[in-house]
Amino acid sequence: MEQELIWDLEQEKQRIMVHPILGRIEKGRRVKFTYDGREVEGYEGEPIAAALKAQGVMIHRYTAKKHSPRGIFCAIGRCTDCVMVVDGEPNIRTCITPLREGMTVQTQYGVSAEPFENQ
Amino acid sequence: MNTLSDRSRDIGEFVSQPGDEMIICRCEEITKGEIRRAVHEGMFTMTEIRRYLRAGMGLCQGQTCSKLVKGIVARELKVSPADLEPATSRVPMRPIEMKVFANENEDEDE
Amino acid sequence: MPLPERNDMKRYDLIVVGAGPSGLSAAIEASKRGVKTIVFDENARPGGQLFKQIHKFFGSKEHKAKIRGFVIGQQLLDEAGKAGVEVVLNATVIGLYQDKEIVVKTGDTVHHYKGDSIIIATGASENMVTFDGWTLPGVIGAGAAQTLMNLHGIKPGKRVLMLGSGNVGLVVSFQLMQAGCEVAALVDAAPEIGGYGVHAAKVARTGVPFYLSHTIVKAEGTDHVTGVTIAAVDDHFRFIPGTEKHFDVDTICVAVGLSPMSQLLKMAGCRMSDDPKRGGQVPIIDGHGETSIPGLFAAGDVSGIEEASSAMIEGRQAGIYAAEFLGFISKTEMDNGEEKLDAALDGLRQGMFAPKNRGKNIEKTEEGIDISRNLLCRGFIGDDEIERFPGVTHKAGVHPVIECTQNIPCNPCQDACAMHCIMVGKVITALPAVDPSLKCADCGMCVASCSGQAIFLVNEDCGDGTATVTLPYEFLPVPDEGTRGRALGRNGQEVCDAEVVKIRTSPAYDHTTLLTMSVPKEFAMKARFFKANA
Repeated sequence: MEQELIWDLEQEKQRIMVHPILGRIEKGRRVKFTYDGREVEGYEGEPIAAALKAQGVMIHRYTAKKHSPRGIFCAIGRCTDCVMVVDGEPNIRTCITPLREGMTVQTQYGVSAEPFENQ
Repeated sequence: MNTLSDRSRDIGEFVSQPGDEMIICRCEEITKGEIRRAVHEGMFTMTEIRRYLRAGMGLCQGQTCSKLVKGIVARELKVSPADLEPATSRVPMRPIEMKVFANENEDEDE
Repeated sequence: MPLPERNDMKRYDLIVVGAGPSGLSAAIEASKRGVKTIVFDENARPGGQLFKQIHKFFGSKEHKAKIRGFVIGQQLLDEAGKAGVEVVLNATVIGLYQDKEIVVKTGDTVHHYKGDSIIIATGASENMVTFDGWTLPGVIGAGAAQTLMNLHGIKPGKRVLMLGSGNVGLVVSFQLMQAGCEVAALVDAAPEIGGYGVHAAKVARTGVPFYLSHTIVKAEGTDHVTGVTIAAVDDHFRFIPGTEKHFDVDTICVAVGLSPMSQLLKMAGCRMSDDPKRGGQVPIIDGHGETSIPGLFAAGDVSGIEEASSAMIEGRQAGIYAAEFLGFISKTEMDNGEEKLDAALDGLRQGMFAPKNRGKNIEKTEEGIDISRNLLCRGFIGDDEIERFPGVTHKAGVHPVIECTQNIPCNPCQDACAMHCIMVGKVITALPAVDPSLKCADCGMCVASCSGQAIFLVNEDCGDGTATVTLPYEFLPVPDEGTRGRALGRNGQEVCDAEVVKIRTSPAYDHTTLLTMSVPKEFAMKARFFKANA
């Protein structure tokens, strides 16, 4: 537990550990998943976008027409800007899709996980 | 008579302006210039703009941009945004996969 | 020939769309009256936006004033559970038809339901403004910031610029600081702050600069936000060249208002109107929340943008109206049920920020006192303006100083004081007045009870050349007693040295820490925040 806390503080500075009003932030089990082929960790049940944000990930996808970067915008599943390729399926709203152990999360290029130069 | 439906009304030629390259519809990546140009090409209603440009027809279904598009069209037509009828609302309100849309639960026994 | 009825369609007395404050309240009241009710919500959790609201609510007891939003959300869920309300989550209503049939997507299937009455309580969506770079990752809605930090425990950014000075922009700015983020500036194109002055003041006193009549020129960065440039605008909202200011930020938060999410009602064929005072496209409803389609009701933000407190009352009323429409209660029972609610709703719709006063230029309070210009234009009351308000009095010993200077519907301070020093009176929007002839017990309850964090306990002269100022403190870390630092003025500027002499916490304060600092006595009426030395 102690070690996990230290790990958090060093690796995930964007996580709020203790909040003045909400107290200690309770999370689920710590799980591993892959982000663009890299093994990373998050908490089970939190939105994929939250786990990525804690890792400092800003870019979730590049748009189809102008190839411009997009990330979290509304965080409640409305705007669809944060969609990524999750377990091979494109257009998954990461801000409302709960993280599960072993998930494969990939940056979305247009509607594919393949960078544009390979499409 | 409703001034908006008066298609003989001359609103002048499209003249490009600074800011025309600004993305308005984030999903379909439609710019302000494209919307302004569409008005000058005769698209006077929100429904026409939608069909002509696909602005507001992307994944989010106009959640973010419809008010912005309306403002731009109204300005081009020199009317108040409140006078523009919003685009038609129809099923489905949220993005949905066709396979789900077609999957109607036929017998629900509980 | 009529079509045979579909055998898969389930029937309910009442279908509620949206499990936020108004939808849940509606379902509770209807269920209590025997109405078979089902609630659909597209989100994974019920409660709508209530669980992201960590500040204490305004109003009076009947409006659950001084209780934090997420606690009210939990109370509402408990009440719904007791009333036997059936809530279906992750259920997206994708269609609504004139004959009160709805289409709901749950999982991988689409279901049809028929309601003898329907209440639409879908709430609102956030407005946006465009600026160069607004699609860059790092530009987020204020709602996104609240969701990330208050629901998921994630900081939206390290350094944030807030665009929008309405209550959402002000409250979220404060919450960002509570989450440990730095707020670089608060910007609004309007010349005056849109939200409550008390919300602005609690942000300003921490040192956040306000830029009114300014807006964003450009979000900087190629892959994500690395900075922002703002500039002043003229009366026609055009940039004034040469006024540009740059801030290094990684996040830009946009809080420029809400629009009713009324598309389902339009789809059903309800008569609609575009009403700027209500936030956009709203259904035309009668005094009972009923749309032009009999038995189809609307409640909460979908019928006009207001606060969660009013949405809950409107919801309860809609539940009662639906029960009457369905014949579960008589008209007399309906009238009895809603009378109190009407009065409660009316109470919330008073004061300077009432819907009826939107867009009006109000220069004086109901008491005839000039409103602080600094508060409107810079976010804080000037030292030379504070003395004219009835909550500011002077006497020997500890006494409350109430820097509440606008007529808003709120009165918990009155009940908080066991010594009856504080008086709001029958008119809930009246400015609280302090009676200096009564003794203050220095219990701190008024400080903690003020949802606007506008009450201070001041001892102007401790006899040794110092004064003490007790202020509400909702940040971490809480400085220890004995910590030395600087006192900040209402404008967030350092005014003098200060030392923390007392830290008080109590369950009765509900997570508001009371920090007492000692300052030279000439700063008793100027020092309003504490910043520890680095």
